[in-house]
Amino acid sequence: MQVSLRVRRFDPESNQGPYYQTYSMDAPDYYTVLDALIHIREETDGTLGLRCSCRSAICGSCAMRIDGHAKLACKTKIIDLTADGGEVTVEPVGNMPVVKDLIADMKPFWDKIRAVDPWLQPEGPEPEREYVVPNEAMQDLAGAMNCIMCGACVSDCTVLEAELNRGVPVEKTWLAPAALAKAYRFVGDPRDDHQYDRLEKLSDSGGIWDCTHCFECIEVCPKGVAPMDRIMALRDKAVSAGITNNNGTRHAKAFHDSIKAYGRLDEVTLVPKSVGFFNIRELLPQMPTGLRMLKAGKLRLPHKAENKKKIKQIVDSLDKEQME
Amino acid sequence: MLEHDVLVVGAGLAGLRVAIEAQKQGVDVAVITKVHPVRSHSNAAQGGINAALEQEGSPDSWEAHAFDTVKGSDYLGDQDAIEIICREAGPEIIELEHMGVVFNRDETGHLGVRAFGGATYSRTFFVGDITGQALLHVMYEQVLKANTRIYEEWFVTSLIVEDGVCRGVVAMDLATRRLHTIKAKAVVLATGGAGRVFEPSTNALIVTGDGISQAYRAGAPLMDMEMVQFHPTTLKQNGALLTEGARGEGAYLLNAEGERFLGNERNQFYAPSKMELAARDVISRAEQIEIDAGRGVDGCVLLDCRHLGEDLIRERLWQIWELAMDFANVDIMKDPVPIRPGVHYIMGGIKTDVDGRAWDVNGGGWGGVKGLFAVGECACINAHGANRLGANSLLETVVYGRRAGLTAGFYVKEAPTALLSEAKMADDESRIKEIISRPDNGDRWAALRLEMGEMMNSQVGIFRTKENLEGALEKIQEMKLRYRHVPIQNKGNIFNTDLQFHLELGLMLDCAEVIALSALSREESRGAHYRLDFPARDDEKWLKHTMAYYTPEGPEMDTLPVTITQWEPTERKY
Amino acid sequence: MRYAFWPGCVSRGACPELFEAVVRVSDRLGIEMIELKEASCTGAGVLSEQNPELADTLNGRTFAMAEKLGLPLMNICSTCQGVQGRINYKFQNDATYLSRINERLAEEGLHYSGNLEIKNFLWVLVEDVGLDKLRSMVVRPLRGLNIAPFYGCYILRPSKELGYAEHPERGKYLEKVIEVLGAEPVDFYGKSKCCGFPIVTMNRRNSLAMAGDHLLEAKSKGADAMVTPCPLCHLNLDAQQPDAAGIKGQPIGLPILHLPQLVGLALGIDPEAMRLNNHIVSTEAVTEKLKVKV
Repeated sequence: MQVSLRVRRFDPESNQGPYYQTYSMDAPDYYTVLDALIHIREETDGTLGLRCSCRSAICGSCAMRIDGHAKLACKTKIIDLTADGGEVTVEPVGNMPVVKDLIADMKPFWDKIRAVDPWLQPEGPEPEREYVVPNEAMQDLAGAMNCIMCGACVSDCTVLEAELNRGVPVEKTWLAPAALAKAYRFVGDPRDDHQYDRLEKLSDSGGIWDCTHCFECIEVCPKGVAPMDRIMALRDKAVSAGITNNNGTRHAKAFHDSIKAYGRLDEVTLVPKSVGFFNIRELLPQMPTGLRMLKAGKLRLPHKAENKKKIKQIVDSLDKEQME
Repeated sequence: MLEHDVLVVGAGLAGLRVAIEAQKQGVDVAVITKVHPVRSHSNAAQGGINAALEQEGSPDSWEAHAFDTVKGSDYLGDQDAIEIICREAGPEIIELEHMGVVFNRDETGHLGVRAFGGATYSRTFFVGDITGQALLHVMYEQVLKANTRIYEEWFVTSLIVEDGVCRGVVAMDLATRRLHTIKAKAVVLATGGAGRVFEPSTNALIVTGDGISQAYRAGAPLMDMEMVQFHPTTLKQNGALLTEGARGEGAYLLNAEGERFLGNERNQFYAPSKMELAARDVISRAEQIEIDAGRGVDGCVLLDCRHLGEDLIRERLWQIWELAMDFANVDIMKDPVPIRPGVHYIMGGIKTDVDGRAWDVNGGGWGGVKGLFAVGECACINAHGANRLGANSLLETVVYGRRAGLTAGFYVKEAPTALLSEAKMADDESRIKEIISRPDNGDRWAALRLEMGEMMNSQVGIFRTKENLEGALEKIQEMKLRYRHVPIQNKGNIFNTDLQFHLELGLMLDCAEVIALSALSREESRGAHYRLDFPARDDEKWLKHTMAYYTPEGPEMDTLPVTITQWEPTERKY
Repeated sequence: MRYAFWPGCVSRGACPELFEAVVRVSDRLGIEMIELKEASCTGAGVLSEQNPELADTLNGRTFAMAEKLGLPLMNICSTCQGVQGRINYKFQNDATYLSRINERLAEEGLHYSGNLEIKNFLWVLVEDVGLDKLRSMVVRPLRGLNIAPFYGCYILRPSKELGYAEHPERGKYLEKVIEVLGAEPVDFYGKSKCCGFPIVTMNRRNSLAMAGDHLLEAKSKGADAMVTPCPLCHLNLDAQQPDAAGIKGQPIGLPILHLPQLVGLALGIDPEAMRLNNHIVSTEAVTEKLKVKV
């Protein structure tokens, strides 16, 4: 099929800023975006910069934005993107500085991984043989270990993007999905003895509660790691471990309590309950919003589900089961 | 000038394992790697890692594992090296588990095993079908914990050898193209294999034999380089590997007639008793015979996983489900997937002793380069002989990685400090400048590399003859001449991959030459090396290793005896 | 066209204008809605953080109620769509789990088969009403209006669980509807990104910055107003807009319409009946351009 690759080029050695260059070719049906890029690099333009190695979605080198979303070039077939005669836009990953063409500086990514102390920390004497642990626990962790550190999730993380857009220095930005999925791999490991410390650290600002739940990382992860789901699991583990003195936990609890009481969500008390009723420092900035909403008739008594007693019964019974 | 006690080149599983062990000795260790460590090709090992872990009631033993390995090697493996790898396998698995590897468990929560080719008992420990990746990432965690210095995306251009001793390397920072001399008392090569010398190949694009060729040029001999393994199950389209673990879990190999052909008695090469779990060389050869006899499907035979069931595939073979889906458009739960043999691994490499030393400490008469170590696929400690058993390669990286790290750590404590000039760096700089300044003559390294790879596959492949091998050597000579004039388009300094691949091609041409010449010299058939003109194994003449030494005029061939401890060669049947 | 109708908590709470609008627009389009008054909040993904099985049970209950009526389920909230869609996918792919949920539902005499179709109002508009029919009912074309579509997250992701394989065009429905109504869609990067609402209490600055980024981008691309199928996005884009402007250090003033309001305007429904004056950011710019009185 005939296809054009519109590639974002950038060479810091030239005086030119980033620009787009279009390469047209006749691509066989089986061609992936990586096949096409390699074809360009080898046959027409040796100056094109990109990283790639394994060609089979295991080394994590070739994450880039393809038609606006982070993908592994080696796993993305052109025929799935466009029809004959179409165009595919290829850009470097987002949220990381571009070094040259499709090559980004991954340092911020690795720094975040490093920040979660990513190694097993057992305590006490090592057993002579292996640790005896259930296979299900290992299977769950293997799901997280599927991560190939390609950076697709960090590229398309909306929270990180907002932070960088508003000028937060990269070392102060939040941990972002990959590092948190990596953290989950240790928190969920029955052999690790530092789960509480880890969860406490992860519950700080810039950790698990900063995730906005946008599903971008689940959507773009090429290995089914579902980082956001891991973050949600970390939240659950943190709360179960009793690490609850944060807005995130209070927000979740307020949500839960509202459903239990009314069968519905009561947005009115959600904010004060989340930041704490007496937390003037954080409540104050929210006050204008509240006042505006009051004026517009948007603050009303909670709407209640009919037969809400039944909902409360379900909540109580499942909560009880969970406790057990 | 940058300086370290131990410099490890390559950050795959072997290199990282060396670094961890050497660092434990209290010496200054650094790792240099042309890709980020977790991008290394150890990732691609899928099926598992072998060990006869002593367990109550298990009939398995390290001796049984060793015998399987000796037999698998078609009696070319050095039995001292094989004994060590099999004896030390158990503790190594336990150590990996303690580091954090999330090995699959059995129903009691203990380590679980799966069957693998050429093995008498099930002794392959695994993490789904991502074992290499799971091990590599855990090893990288350990390196992060140890805070080891890593030169990431640096490409070694030369080893520095003075007075017969390796004293460091010249390396290029790929981000800037700047050359640096890195001085080291010990250099440990852990640069992986040379699979890209062949096209197609299961290997990643980075597997270009860099260390093998550089050690060879620096004076270290290469051993058994003709022993190139074809993996029986690779995808036609891009050569991607589908793990032997699939057959370990019970998958079938079928020809176009739907017959499990390995059971067929019509050919002496087949494996009626072990069937799909015979050694890789046996199965690859059988597949090729089926394909050549017209019983294939579009140049392939079929791997049938359907009867394994969805649950097992989900838990244990998920990656290959994805690979088959992505690259062959086949759902292995529903249909058999076309596969064919593909170049996968090189048993040969830089000759070392059982501690990874690439020089002759014990008076074996093979020379080598003092201060130089090698480990992993680039090395030939010779635990694999003429054919490596599946799941022994990961094992080799950790067992011999630890040993080499330990030995290198001790070695540098004793080694004197020497002055080092930057002459080699100046040489490399002018060599590179010359390449950059070449006028465009219409030729491209990519075209030359493809030609070399396809030629190697057709003339130095599963079935070899004198005529083909001589032809191959002739072509390699032409290619080497042509290579000297191949220009590059990219004249820049920042991530100039055009230049890097050009340099790699030069190294690959060396490997190609030694592989072809070693294959020509071995006038018998053994393991992965099959000569149509010498179809039998010849223990009388060829129970020995081929050795290749660099000379400016081309490789000089020699031989070394095989070390036999307790298993005398007998007929090999599966 | 009959649907079991789940209005979501926000249309019955802080965004009553959404409820008013959808009731009127549905009436005009011949969509009959049976409100599930006993149904509970979906949990918005937050409840599943704490007790996934509780969230699944409550949603399974809602599905069973719809199924009992023999009707597909319609919601008017992207977040509800995302949560309901994801849980439905889970039920459809794990029969053992679904039967465990059904054991709980049995106490209330309910049962869920796993076969319910769950559709956001936007999907109903395009797939069931149809763009041709919608076009034919336009009495007040929104000519001259540049409308920025804001999808938000949950109506788009995770695409696998939301049926995008069968309906790959769902990511373009807002633009299609805007066009059919006679307005001009404004393309902008942020249209499929997060509005920032879920972290408003955890990281207010980020939350407001997200809203601010999208609003300013849409405005700079010439948008007169923004439309969203999600009332939670609406809260962050509209109710928090003055604060988002504060964080970004520049005024914004971009009216945010609920999807049914935009449709209603084109169908000639009285803006006041759809409570366009109920917004924090004045919608006058829109009504003035259309020359309708509020």
